Amino acid sequence: MTASLERGLNAFREVMDAPIASFFNSCVHCGLCADACLFHTETGDPKYTPIHKLEPLRKLWKREYTLLGKLTSLLGLGATISDEELEEWSPLVYDSCTLCGRCTLMCPVGNDITYMIRKMREGMAASGHAPAGLIDATRRSIELGSPMGIKPKTFMARVHEQQEETGIEIPVDKAGADYMAIMSSMEIMGYPEYLGSLARIFKQAGISWTVSSEAFEATNSGIQIGVSDLAREIVMRIVTVSEKLGVKYVISPECGHAFTALRWDGPNLIGRPYKFEVVHILELLDQLLKDGRLKTEGKTAESLTLHDPCQIVRRGGIVAEPRNLINMVASDFREMEDAGVYNWCCGGGGGVSAITRAEELRFTVFKIKKRQIENTGAGTMITACANCRNVLEEGLEHYNMDTKMIGITELVAEYLKKDEP
Amino acid sequence: MADENSLGAILRAQGVSRRGFLKFCSAMAALMALPPSMVPAIAAALDKALRPSVIWLSFQECTGCTESLTRSHTPTLEALIFDAISLDYHHTLQAASGEAAEAARAEAMKKFYGKYLLVVDGSIPTKDGGVYSTIAGMSNLDMLQEAAKGAAAIMAVGTCAAFGGIPHANPNPTGAVAVSDIIKDKPIINVSGCPPIPVVITGVLAHYLTFGTLPELDDLGRPKVFYGESIHDRCYRRPFYDQGKFAKTFDDEGARNGWCLFELGCKGPTTFNACATTKWNQGTSFPIESGHGCLGCSEPNFWDAGSFYQALSTPITPVGKAAAVAAAAGIVGGAAIAMHNRHVKGAAKSEHQTVTVKDLEK
Ligand code: SF4
Ligand code: SF4
Ligand code: SF4
Ligand code: SF4
Repeated sequence: MTASLERGLNAFREVMDAPIASFFNSCVHCGLCADACLFHTETGDPKYTPIHKLEPLRKLWKREYTLLGKLTSLLGLGATISDEELEEWSPLVYDSCTLCGRCTLMCPVGNDITYMIRKMREGMAASGHAPAGLIDATRRSIELGSPMGIKPKTFMARVHEQQEETGIEIPVDKAGADYMAIMSSMEIMGYPEYLGSLARIFKQAGISWTVSSEAFEATNSGIQIGVSDLAREIVMRIVTVSEKLGVKYVISPECGHAFTALRWDGPNLIGRPYKFEVVHILELLDQLLKDGRLKTEGKTAESLTLHDPCQIVRRGGIVAEPRNLINMVASDFREMEDAGVYNWCCGGGGGVSAITRAEELRFTVFKIKKRQIENTGAGTMITACANCRNVLEEGLEHYNMDTKMIGITELVAEYLKKDEP
Repeated sequence: MADENSLGAILRAQGVSRRGFLKFCSAMAALMALPPSMVPAIAAALDKALRPSVIWLSFQECTGCTESLTRSHTPTLEALIFDAISLDYHHTLQAASGEAAEAARAEAMKKFYGKYLLVVDGSIPTKDGGVYSTIAGMSNLDMLQEAAKGAAAIMAVGTCAAFGGIPHANPNPTGAVAVSDIIKDKPIINVSGCPPIPVVITGVLAHYLTFGTLPELDDLGRPKVFYGESIHDRCYRRPFYDQGKFAKTFDDEGARNGWCLFELGCKGPTTFNACATTKWNQGTSFPIESGHGCLGCSEPNFWDAGSFYQALSTPITPVGKAAAVAAAAGIVGGAAIAMHNRHVKGAAKSEHQTVTVKDLEK
């Protein structure tokens, strides 16, 4: 109700840091980022060229931060930024960017376009141009504690359910545990077996761990919508509880954006280092594997392929770990084209999956994933992100594909050595 | 009423809008450090300016200067200005060749005697009667003397023409000299640089078209508006220099942090040029921004001043003087811009109102 153009422009000025100024300065207009972005390759529409998505922000930079721009605007010749323009750009900054980071990787002069889009969302949100779906998710995150509206009661019901299912105790609010596991709402709602898998693996490995009845939600809608004030509040919930419980590590769930939010953005948001370390579940499992504490038996003969979640692989650097884990339990693992850091996004990251009006576009850009999957001929696709998984399942259904899906942690848990003491 | 052969009319005929033209004029005003209030005057003068005849002679050179001029412009206003001046003779750019080309030069020299602008790039070899560089059987030395006679003014483009350049470097086997070493009775403007910044070339031309005179020059014959301040004065790494933070190698922590390149041989403190403000490749960046020190290419004898990677012993420009000049001339210097930018960002920060979920909608 209080969003306004002025607040938005002010936010643009606030995010205008040295990297952004130098990125705008160094863009050579080569257009290479266009072919890096699935929204451009799958639609062929030039408006989806990544650097173009930043045009209003670039205008402001040019106008207020360059000598020539300042002079021309002094003469009333410079371009101004209007509410209509921001409205027009809203689908470019939100619906058609999953913050996947592929453009950043391809830019020959190293412009971190993804970073800029994330920052530009600050001004878009403050000026009231964030999409309704994301606003709702953010409101639920702040008011109820989770973008999908999951309350502690629901989470605890899941914990009990999985305890019964596995017959293993899941420690809750245990002070002094080494590890605290958190989950993304998508996992809590759609794939609770993740929690049961953790219980089984950690029991075998003898890990001291806990979950929290207050801070269980890892997804950070504040980052996706682009409001640092809210992102900070959301991160702070996890920080407060983990520091209160005195855990040494917080385990980020598979969910890619949750990992980015907690591992990379968090300390910058709160302005200090954590008193604990953040480890991604795949990093932890791989470490356990190396230490000989994670033992499996048997391998699946099913043909498998892997979807690399952008935030985990490209933006997170966790490339070898999932492969080590998969190869331990699979005999027919087929890499996709462009696998690893060059992989293509599922089309629903960065908050896009929460934007209702973007649904059709999401299916259009899923064509790249469809091609990739089909080329491997694999029957099952593994992924390590509940959000990717959900988006991928919707895509598979939309295109009537019969590829099955599974998360890595569950896959590993299925092949755990049974008779380990 | 403007003449139909005037610059304004020609540009309009080529589809350049009034707004675009004014934009160009204000950019030029900014470059020439003229107050914005001068823009209408510049516009009026440029609008009426008649196509002046320009003869361009290339002597002992590498064509880098012409490259610089042509490369950086997809058709922009600057390029159109070039279409709009009458470039009657240019070895490299003209279509005509052989005798036809020489005839065109002779004709232009005759027709516009006393009025044409002579542009020269390259140095002039003088040893052994100037045999080391000849065009159509005529030595550069003779050609320059002949063409200079009817010129209204001479623009020496590039360090070779301005100061002798690379050919003049020790031991100077061809006896290469600058234009000003030979021509003593004509106004000469030195647009040095190896190569010079394209917009500086067009800027000087625009000045000439606007006012019919050459801009104010420094003691080396260079237009003060572009060469009035050192690279160092406007360098964005300057705050690090002032704090004594220097990169010691090209890949150390300091280099990664963007610290000053002085100890890696940057000649910014003794080099007067506009690189740090106008930058290169349509304002993309300039050497220091890409991590390499300035070589000092717009100064006389820059190649004979020791290794490019050897640090200057002491900075020569007193900090205060340059700042005073900048203030007096009303130039927004690099430091001022940086300060202003910090101010804009700082103001935005202090105006920050915490965003709550209630603030996400209008
Ligand atoms: S981050 Fe990904 S989706 Fe966003 S513009 Fe870049 S390539 Fe496109
Ligand atoms: S790839 Fe980089 S340099 Fe090229 S247009 Fe995109 S942002 Fe600019
Ligand atoms: S010495 Fe060179 S890098 Fe350092 S401040 Fe001066 S011009 Fe810039
Ligand atoms: S930075 Fe120095 S060496 Fe490079 S072009 Fe400019 S004046 Fe010449």
